Amino acid sequence: MTPLDPAPGRAAELSAHAEWDAGHTGCGELVLLLRNKLLELSPGQRLLVIAHDPGAPEDIPAWCRLTGHRLLEARPPHYLIERRSTP
Amino acid sequence: MSKRFCVSLTFAKNDTDKATVAFVVANAAVASDKETMVFLSVEGVRLSQRGYADDIHEQGFAPLAELMGNFVKAGGKVFVCSPCFKKRGLDEGKLIDGATVVGGAKLVEFLSEGSPCVSY
Repeated sequence: MTPLDPAPGRAAELSAHAEWDAGHTGCGELVLLLRNKLLELSPGQRLLVIAHDPGAPEDIPAWCRLTGHRLLEARPPHYLIERRSTP
Repeated sequence: MSKRFCVSLTFAKNDTDKATVAFVVANAAVASDKETMVFLSVEGVRLSQRGYADDIHEQGFAPLAELMGNFVKAGGKVFVCSPCFKKRGLDEGKLIDGATVVGGAKLVEFLSEGSPCVSY
């Protein structure tokens, strides 16, 4: 479990089962790789993503809304995402 | 919200920037669970040939062949304009994985069933 520098009282929500450093990858490359990383996890597991692309603060929440993966926390460049239950 | 997404691309080595960005956007669509189709027409049809994209690598992007391969591996489809393909004397035996030569009706069907389309 990887902690995301949790705010007080949020420790349980802010732990991840896996971590992925996307570096400066952005746009379609970022979300396609992110999709693959998340689908490697079991439903309900959480992935901590570190993404430095300037578009990521808008793109990652939009992608989560489109796909049904749950964005638990967004503090750029850190994003904590819970894998959806469907394949 | 539409479940489909189309990217129309009319360039190949005559504008490698456009060709690359088109596939980056297509990858964003397929990664977002859209049934995604790249429609190659005019010069864009040259990208349907195996090996053609191997030396295209725009600065700041992944190599085009990698972007195209990832797109198809994720379930994306590539439709190739039949008259444009024939005009250039291209080879059906050299089509990349995921590519199908189609006529305009196939494009019209895909879009008419409800699909946004972005063009490069």
